[in-house]
Amino acid sequence: MSTVTAGEAARLSGWRTYLRNLWRWREFGWFLAMGNLMARNASTSLGLFWWVINPLIMAGIYFLVFGVIFDGRSGEEHFIAWLLSGVFVFNYTATAMTSGANSILANGRLLVNIRFPRLVLPLSAVVETGIGFVLSIAVYYVIAWPANGVAPGPGLVWLPAAFALHTLFNLGLAAWTARLAIPFRDINNLIPHITRLWFYLSPIIWPLSLIESRGGWMEQIASLNPMFGMLSFYRTALMGRPLDTGAFLLTLAWALLIGLGGILSFVRHEGNMARHL
Amino acid sequence: MSSAVVSVNGVGVRYRAYVERNSTLRRAAARGRLRETAVVVALEDVSFEVQRGETLGLIGDNGAGKSTLLRVIARTMRPDSGSVAVRGETSTLLQLGAGFNLELSGSRNVYLSGLAHGLRKAEINRLFGDIVDFAGVAEAIDRPLKSYSSGMVSRLAFSISMHLMPDILLLDEVLAVGDAGFREKSRSAMRELLARGGTVMVASHALRMMVQMCDRVLWLDRGRVRGLGQAETVIEAYTRSLPPAAG
Ligand SMILES: Nc1ncnc2c1ncn2[C@@H]1O[C@H](COP(=O)(O)OP(=O)(O)OP(=O)(O)O)[C@@H](O)[C@H]1O
Ligand SMILES: [Mg+2]
Repeated sequence: MSTVTAGEAARLSGWRTYLRNLWRWREFGWFLAMGNLMARNASTSLGLFWWVINPLIMAGIYFLVFGVIFDGRSGEEHFIAWLLSGVFVFNYTATAMTSGANSILANGRLLVNIRFPRLVLPLSAVVETGIGFVLSIAVYYVIAWPANGVAPGPGLVWLPAAFALHTLFNLGLAAWTARLAIPFRDINNLIPHITRLWFYLSPIIWPLSLIESRGGWMEQIASLNPMFGMLSFYRTALMGRPLDTGAFLLTLAWALLIGLGGILSFVRHEGNMARHL
Repeated sequence: MSSAVVSVNGVGVRYRAYVERNSTLRRAAARGRLRETAVVVALEDVSFEVQRGETLGLIGDNGAGKSTLLRVIARTMRPDSGSVAVRGETSTLLQLGAGFNLELSGSRNVYLSGLAHGLRKAEINRLFGDIVDFAGVAEAIDRPLKSYSSGMVSRLAFSISMHLMPDILLLDEVLAVGDAGFREKSRSAMRELLARGGTVMVASHALRMMVQMCDRVLWLDRGRVRGLGQAETVIEAYTRSLPPAAG
C-alpha cells in the first residue's frame, strides 16, 4: 500500500518538475516561434503581410470553387462566413500537425546536444501557428462582415474558450506527429492526405443541411469527427449561432483526450528522441 | 561515499539503423517487411566513475562509442540498460557543429543556444559581449553561421559553453579545429573551470594533447571499456594496439 503511494508521489513530482522546466524554458520556445516568424518576415519582400495575404488567398480560392463554381450557397444563408470560419479554423489544425512534425526534425542538432524539455518544440510550433490563426480571425471579419453582414456579436465571449480548447487539441496532435515523425519519417508524406480527407469530411465547404437530409446514422457518424463540435462551437462565437451544448461537451472531451494523450505520449518517449536522429 | 561526480553503471546503448540495400518491392514482400533494420551496439556494460576536479579523456577508434557515451552523460539520450548518475548542477556537451542553426546569424545562435540551455534572455544579454570577445568573432557576429569557417563555429560554441559556467564540461572533438591561439585560450579557460571544482570529459583523437590535458583516460573499444587509468599508460597501450603504419 505504501509503495503505491510512494510511486504515485514520485510520478506526480516528476510531472511537477517537467512543468517547472517547461516554464523555465518558455523564453526558448518563444524565441523559436518568433524566430520562424521573423525568418519568414526577413526572407520575403512582403514579410509579415503574408500572415494576412495567405488566409485571404485561401479564402478567395475556396470561394471561387465552392461558392461560385459549385454554388454551395444553397443550404447556407451566410455561406462566406461559414466557409471562411471553417477554412481558418481547420487550417490552424492542419498547419499545427505539419509544423509539429517538422519541429523535431528541424531541430535535431539541438536535441542531440542540449537537454531541455522536448515538448517546447511542438509547443512553440503551435504558438507560431496560433498567432497566424488569430490574425486570420481579423481577416475573417473584414470579409464576412461586409459580405454576409456577420458582425462581431455577444457570441464572441465563447471565442477564448474555443481557442483554448482548439489549441490544446492542436498541441496534442502536434505532439503526436512530432513523436511519430522520428521513427516514421513517412508521416510527412501522409499528413497532407490525412488533412485533405479530414477537410472534406468536416462541415466547411458544405452546409449541415447536407447530412441532416441524409438521415440519422450519417449524422451520427459525421459528428464523431472532432472538427464537428469544434466548428460548431467556433461558429457560436464567430457567427452568432446558438450554442449547442452537446457539441461543446464533445469538443471539450476531444481536446482533453487528444491534447493530454498527445502530450503524455510525447513526454514518455522524449528520452529516446535523440537516438533516432 | 566517494566524491564521484559522474558514475556510470553497466551502461548499454543500441542504435537501430535502417539498412539500405537495393530493395525492390518484390524482395521486401519476400522478407515480409518494407525496410530492414540492423542493430548497432554502441556501448555495452560500461562502468566507471569520474571524480570532481578531474579531467577524463576518452579515446578509441572511430565508432568506438565515445560520442554516444558523452550523450548519455549529458542526458540527451537515455541508455537501454544500466544507469548514469550525475552529481553536480549542470553539464554542457559540445560536439562539432552541433546545437546551432546554420541559417541564423552568429548572434541569434548565441541566444538560441543560451536559451536552449535554460538561460534567461536577460542573462544572455549580460554575457553576450564576453562570449563574442572570447570567441573572437566580433566582426562576423551578424553574418549567418553557414558563412563561418568550422574553426569559427567551434570557437563560438566553446565560448558559449564556457560562459554557461557548467559544473561538468563534455567536449567531443571540438578543440582539434581551433587555431593555436584559441587552443591556448581554451586551455586556460578549462583550467579555471577545474580550479573552481568543475569536471571535464574530453573525447579526442589528438593523443598528444590528451596526454597533456588529461589526468586519466578511458579507452573504449567497440563499445566496451578496454582500459582505464593514468593517461600516459592507457594511451601508450592504445597506441601499441594500433596496426603499425605502412611505410
Ligand atoms: N544515430 C545513429 N544511428 C545509428 N547508429 C549510430 C548512430 N550514431 C552512432 N551510431 C553507431 O554507434 C557506434 C558508436 O558511434 P559513436 O559516434 O559514439 O562513435 P565515436 O567513438 O564517437 O566515433 P568517432 O571517433 O568517429 O567520433 C558506431 O558504430 C556508429 O555507427
Ligand atoms: Mg564521435
